[in-house]
Amino acid sequence: MTAHGVALLVVVGQLLTGADPRLAAPAFAGDSARRVAVVDTTHKGRSDGPQLPCRVGDCVRQQIQFDAARFDSVTAFALRSILDSAAERGLPTAPLINRALEGSARKVGGVRILKAVREFATALELAREALGAESTVAELEVGADALRAGVDARMLTAIRAARPSSSAVTALVVLTDIVSRGVPAVTARDAVTAIARMPRSDDALLGLQVMVAKNAVRGPGMAVDALRRYLRGTVPGSDPPSAPATVDRKPIRPPSL
Amino acid sequence: MSDDKSMLTFPSPDEDVVLAAQIAAMYAATPTPEAGAAERCARAVIAGSMHASTRSSLGGLRPRWWWGAVAAALLVAVTMRPWRAIGRGGGANASTTTLSDAGGVTQPTGLVTVLANGTAVRFDLRLPATANEVAIVGDFNGWDENATPMLRRSGDDSWSAQVPLTPGRHVYAFVIDGTRWLVDPLAPQVPDSGFGPSNAVVVEGGTQ
Repeated sequence: MTAHGVALLVVVGQLLTGADPRLAAPAFAGDSARRVAVVDTTHKGRSDGPQLPCRVGDCVRQQIQFDAARFDSVTAFALRSILDSAAERGLPTAPLINRALEGSARKVGGVRILKAVREFATALELAREALGAESTVAELEVGADALRAGVDARMLTAIRAARPSSSAVTALVVLTDIVSRGVPAVTARDAVTAIARMPRSDDALLGLQVMVAKNAVRGPGMAVDALRRYLRGTVPGSDPPSAPATVDRKPIRPPSL
Repeated sequence: MSDDKSMLTFPSPDEDVVLAAQIAAMYAATPTPEAGAAERCARAVIAGSMHASTRSSLGGLRPRWWWGAVAAALLVAVTMRPWRAIGRGGGANASTTTLSDAGGVTQPTGLVTVLANGTAVRFDLRLPATANEVAIVGDFNGWDENATPMLRRSGDDSWSAQVPLTPGRHVYAFVIDGTRWLVDPLAPQVPDSGFGPSNAVVVEGGTQ
């Protein structure tokens, strides 16, 4: 019997008996047989960052509906195993479920959904290592997106260091966006870090994102120029970012004596 | 020996003179060639020699300069597909675009406004291309196209929806006529995870 056949039998058995181990959790007693709730109990909020649903000392039991009816039975079964594995590793499952639901809404095949969810789970784990175990779910999710956009894990750590006591969500969102628009990662990191160190700087960060987005349509070089102009006008005494506008620019060789 | 002599008879000097005179008379009797005939003949010979190899490789077809132009026009037509209008097409996954790609749109804009109380966000979308229905999907509604339809303002092509959101980062996209997914090119982008692009909005809460 093939693996798909085994998976199908297991799913049918669970549907008939209601024997899904998740259903034993107290948070979703009223769920129907085909709708499975996944309980995320993994993340605490930061001590002084109450802006996110997960708060200090309040282990949020975040319920996310995993509608198994939106997937074929094999995909749903495989997704459950991925979610189980993520929960065992202490990863939040809500972002994974959202990713799967997005794929279902876009009418993507099950294989691609599973691949995307697996990759995102891996990125979440790397983001947690870079940002710290005390990071919120939103920070981990945004950090995972940043890693997938090409941002280095050490840059995530730098962003976390710039925002040690408050949320790094906006900074990471802006970093991810401007890197994906062609700004060199080091330049983006320097700019975002410089602004993120300022108090109440989320609006300034979002302003940077808009400035770069408007100029990026004319090329990455224009985006970098806009970033530097914005940085000079926002952060007093800011030095120009360390990286050149284009990575393919060759260094100028000094004349030989 | 006599036979050999008859076969190898050489004309006498007198006969040679007669033969030369006959040839000269024949040459003189040849009509004078038309002016330019020699030039035309030379051109024909040169042209034939230039296309001889090509003619053999293309089955007798002579390459023309406009073949390249026709091929380029076909390539552009197949690639751009200008006859494809917004709102039509196959699966939603294959038709995710940015707003600036929408056909017939001069200055499409998307606007996200976090309302004053911080518990809701209003999404505005100006979509000059004709659309019958627009919905917003995201992690706040389980990516359900039917959950959050946007309302069309009277008088223009602006669509709006107000969504209660908790603090944090939320991912969203717009769905046009149930088939075409759009993202705002100026809003923060979320890396494509293999499904297509999407936008992000950050709802602040508490102190930063």
